Amino acid sequence: MMEGKRLKKTKEEGEFKAIEKLCAQTWEPLYRYVYFRVQNREEAEDITQETYLKAIDYLKKGNLPVKSDLAFLKKVSLNLLRDKWRKGKRQGVFLSIDDIKFQETAAEDSALTNEQREIITDALSKLGNDQRLVIELRIIKGYSVAETGKIMKRTSGAVRILQYRALKALNGILRKEL
Amino acid sequence: MGKDERKLSVYIDRLNAEKKPPQFDASDNEELADLMDTVRLVRSLKRPEIPEEGYEKRLAENIASRLKAQKPVRIRKRKWQAGFAAIAAVMILALMLYVFIPFGNMNIVSAMEKAYGEVRAYHGILLIQEISQNGESFTQARVEVWRDKEGRYYVKQIEGYQSGLVTVNNGVFKWQLRPGERKAYLFSAFPDPYSYAFELGNEIDNVRNAIETKFLGKEIINGRETDILEVIPEGGSPYKLWIDKETRLPLQKQTAMQNALQYKVSYIEINFEDLIPEKILEYSLPEGYVEVDNDHEQIVNNMEEAFELAGFYPDIPEEIEGYNLVSISVDTAQKAVKLNYVSQDSTKRITLMEKMPEGEFVAASSAITGKIGGIDAEIQSPVSDGAGILGTGPYAGMTGMNSIRWQNENYEYAIVGNVSIDEIAEIVGCFKLGDVEIPKNGTDLFKPQVEVPVDMEVEENEQKSVDAGHSPWRLDHEFVAQVFASLMVSPEGIVGDYPITGDQLTTIYNTGTEAIVEISGEVTVVRRVYLKRLVRQDPTGIWTVVGYDPV
Repeated sequence: MMEGKRLKKTKEEGEFKAIEKLCAQTWEPLYRYVYFRVQNREEAEDITQETYLKAIDYLKKGNLPVKSDLAFLKKVSLNLLRDKWRKGKRQGVFLSIDDIKFQETAAEDSALTNEQREIITDALSKLGNDQRLVIELRIIKGYSVAETGKIMKRTSGAVRILQYRALKALNGILRKEL
Repeated sequence: MGKDERKLSVYIDRLNAEKKPPQFDASDNEELADLMDTVRLVRSLKRPEIPEEGYEKRLAENIASRLKAQKPVRIRKRKWQAGFAAIAAVMILALMLYVFIPFGNMNIVSAMEKAYGEVRAYHGILLIQEISQNGESFTQARVEVWRDKEGRYYVKQIEGYQSGLVTVNNGVFKWQLRPGERKAYLFSAFPDPYSYAFELGNEIDNVRNAIETKFLGKEIINGRETDILEVIPEGGSPYKLWIDKETRLPLQKQTAMQNALQYKVSYIEINFEDLIPEKILEYSLPEGYVEVDNDHEQIVNNMEEAFELAGFYPDIPEEIEGYNLVSISVDTAQKAVKLNYVSQDSTKRITLMEKMPEGEFVAASSAITGKIGGIDAEIQSPVSDGAGILGTGPYAGMTGMNSIRWQNENYEYAIVGNVSIDEIAEIVGCFKLGDVEIPKNGTDLFKPQVEVPVDMEVEENEQKSVDAGHSPWRLDHEFVAQVFASLMVSPEGIVGDYPITGDQLTTIYNTGTEAIVEISGEVTVVRRVYLKRLVRQDPTGIWTVVGYDPV
């Protein structure tokens, strides 16, 4: 009985160490890959964790990863994200990081390539000054509506309207570019 | 303002707070869904927010405990099998990943990003040297650099062939003072294609995106211990980077030898500060300098030229008594035409501005709302908010400047000048749009039939919460009125859409600290909502309902 308990404890410790090692080696590139798609820490942390659980579950069933590298974990995370989007009843054509021409390259990467960055900054440069500024302040710099309003000398309501129009214009430009 | 604008704004706020955005059914509103995707796309230009320290450990613990919880508990034998299978699965994955993934530079990047993430601002002196093939070095430039976390910077060349050149990006616009030409060049702040050599954030990005990094050894530079890395970028020559062991940030960079020359850039001094002194981020044209702002305003000779640039012929009064038209200019970015008048005694100046309307008219929150021929007009005395077309010039905050701004179906207009509001109102009369009504003060108007008791302690806590980024809608008086009026209709709480829509709201009075919102329609039980900025009387202050008039 004592032997059994000790063995169980040893095996659990072994399992935890293996998980710890796996996480230490892979969490950051995987997290970056997920973050690149969801663009918020809370969701990226959750999906990263779910990815490991799914991946381990898949391997427990006797399956072997198709590729022996990080691509396997990324693929699992991408499937989780797609499930999530499907659950959100997301249908039809839409501009997302995975559905524009970035797909082929970005699927293997966790950051924008120079070409992708150029496409977005080019599109931004085609906006009017105020539209570009509101996107910079609200999205790139993360200012609140009130702070943005203060800088741009506009009311909060006007900032919301301006940012909506700016994003609509940017979306239109990106669709033409792509 | 519609619900979609608010939903999109909430979406941006959630991502900015690094929180999961609210669930959204995309099939109901494809356009909004597209815009949310565009937000994420723009955000991907930023560096990702890395989890707090200890995440790696927490992650492993969570996974282990979740796996444990997944194991069947009833049959001991199966439980053990599951345990073995899990260990085997993790081992397979860990082993394969260990063998095939190059993790080296991820740890370095992570350490640098973490260190850089803690830097609020830095001030340094950069030395840029040219080194010849035979080892002779020549100082090309010495540059003073200030940079903050928000990407604002001030760069001054203190030695070199462009000595005295100052480049500043204060986040709102960018300018360059060129002493050789005695000119100040103005640029838009974003996108900013180039800031300066050896910007720490860029260097960290470069290492992260590198194909490979190699540890070359250690060296002491300017009395600081450093690790030397060789960085092999994608599509470029390898270069060396010295990382300060204490700060974990790049201290020096040396390019590869090309055409018998290589460059070394070092921070010979660097201090980490809380912020950049505000003064150096403020733009002021030095005496004797000429401003070059090709991006914005262009003087034209006649209305034909104005039409060519703005795309419309401005609607101008035939004559403004006592004033002469002295110039016409076009803001090419905003497509706004400006007619500049000077009084016959040359003591007063007014500018009449016009542009095609971009959407519904929204008066500045700090303005008084008047009427011109029955339509809303924004009255600012003095001009404190460059709302709408007033944003095309540096009018807000200037001493003695007053303005009236309004919009009809054809144009958005503003008249701004160093004259009284009454005189501006007379000039507005030249447009023959109807009577100009200016509320003298709100004391007669601001008399709610029912007073709403206010708990200042609650309001002060709410203000703190809004300051921390929560409930940003409390800064929008119309939204506060909408929520209040909706709750009066549905006191048990709002499920789904607000019973009072944004279209039913009209601000009839607003001084920036007091406002009255009128509610139309049959659903409402409240006709007027009276609001005040009780805690803080500026645009960052929350609005509180202090009274209402029942229907």
